[in-house]
Amino acid sequence: MPFKTRKIIGQVIFILLAFYLDGLIKWSFLNNMNIENLTVEPQLMLMVLVLLTFRIDSRRAILTYGIVFGLIYDSYYFGIIGLYTILLPLILVGIDHYKYLFAKSSVGYEMSVYFLALTTLQAGVFLLEKLFRLASADVDDFITFILGPTLLWNIVVFFILYVPFADLSDWLVKYRRGTK
Amino acid sequence: MQKFFSNKKLIILMIIIIVTFGLLAVSVNVRNKKETPPFVQQVGNDVVSVVGGVFAYPVNAVKNTSSEFSDLYNTYQENRRLKSKIGDLAQNQAKLKVVQDENKKLKQELKLNSTLTDYDTTNASVLSRSPSSWQNYLTINRGSTSGLKKNMPVMSGKGLIGRIIEVDKVSSKVELVSTDNEINDKFAAEILGDKDTNVTGVVSRYDDSTGDIVMENVNSVKGIKKGQKVITSGLGGRTPRGLYIGKVHGLKKDNYGMTNSVYITPAAELRNFTVVTVIKSTVSGEK
Repeated sequence: MPFKTRKIIGQVIFILLAFYLDGLIKWSFLNNMNIENLTVEPQLMLMVLVLLTFRIDSRRAILTYGIVFGLIYDSYYFGIIGLYTILLPLILVGIDHYKYLFAKSSVGYEMSVYFLALTTLQAGVFLLEKLFRLASADVDDFITFILGPTLLWNIVVFFILYVPFADLSDWLVKYRRGTK
Repeated sequence: MQKFFSNKKLIILMIIIIVTFGLLAVSVNVRNKKETPPFVQQVGNDVVSVVGGVFAYPVNAVKNTSSEFSDLYNTYQENRRLKSKIGDLAQNQAKLKVVQDENKKLKQELKLNSTLTDYDTTNASVLSRSPSSWQNYLTINRGSTSGLKKNMPVMSGKGLIGRIIEVDKVSSKVELVSTDNEINDKFAAEILGDKDTNVTGVVSRYDDSTGDIVMENVNSVKGIKKGQKVITSGLGGRTPRGLYIGKVHGLKKDNYGMTNSVYITPAAELRNFTVVTVIKSTVSGEK
């Protein structure tokens, strides 16, 4: 098997692992967090995709990952297609478009970009669900009880997992960078 | 106009918006109206859920072990309480057997093949939960090949937890009763009164702040007391009669003092289980 194909398979498995972990973390640990209206949504897959976007040079690959995994996420977790399928590739292409501004990527930059991506994704999903009467919360409640706790939890997880995940992403993309 | 269409970015934005709304509108409609999602989506969901089982089984094992450890803490108290109930239970089981036999014979006399209380069950394991705030869905490892259909009620050990909202070949999605969106389905329910005066209504929403299920459209509030049992009434299609929902917690009037809502403490824990039971009603009702 060519080296490039093995790297791509590695990236896909890495994203899939994060995809399953999102559902399992919610099921196993964060179920108990739904106390007093507070809801936390784990978004490990977004974190992995943001880290990979910083490292992958091909926009086509980024767009493909966004659309394919967005589609799987929508179909498996929501049963409604069009939320992550549209928002995820848009966010990833947006990051790819502006990543040249960060000459050298660091934890601070990557965290801020992840924070913005997470906020955009959550707000986008909320607006679309509200429009199709799938969400019942008001904007105030959404910001206080869902967006706030979700951002806090995911940023803490980002700090804890940054070193292993960033190293793994580097290792999975290194070949492509070397050929540039 | 020519200038407008020459702007590539604007056109891309317009196409994205149209595609987004188109996809959402179609998939929401398919979910609400069709029995099963499109074939491609079914296959995709099944493949993802079969692979997901590899991750879910060890996590469920850890979850079971941790809940067993927490159960150990109150084993002594629980044991004493349960011992006092064993005597009653044996008596009730014998009585139930006699009554069931009698009921069966009477049904045969009346030539009643099945009534609203008859149902079969299928057990399933939970694979994951949707990380969404509003779509409180569980994915389970049984689908249409096991005879599951859309809208079948689902129970955990103690009581009703939700209903099936999407059926694929070897997996399904269960919408929990705690789902609080505006278009979720409702359960026809009744409160078991002291005499023959059962109060009927519709379990229509979930109160996040109290963790109670709310029953609305109640026909009368006369005689409703705290602690009374609430069961499904069997009047809503695929849900049989007699599935335990919970106990009455209190009564509340709406802001205008016009309608009454009954707050029910759900019998089932909505988080501490790894196996669920799908109820298949043997009477075919409206779909």
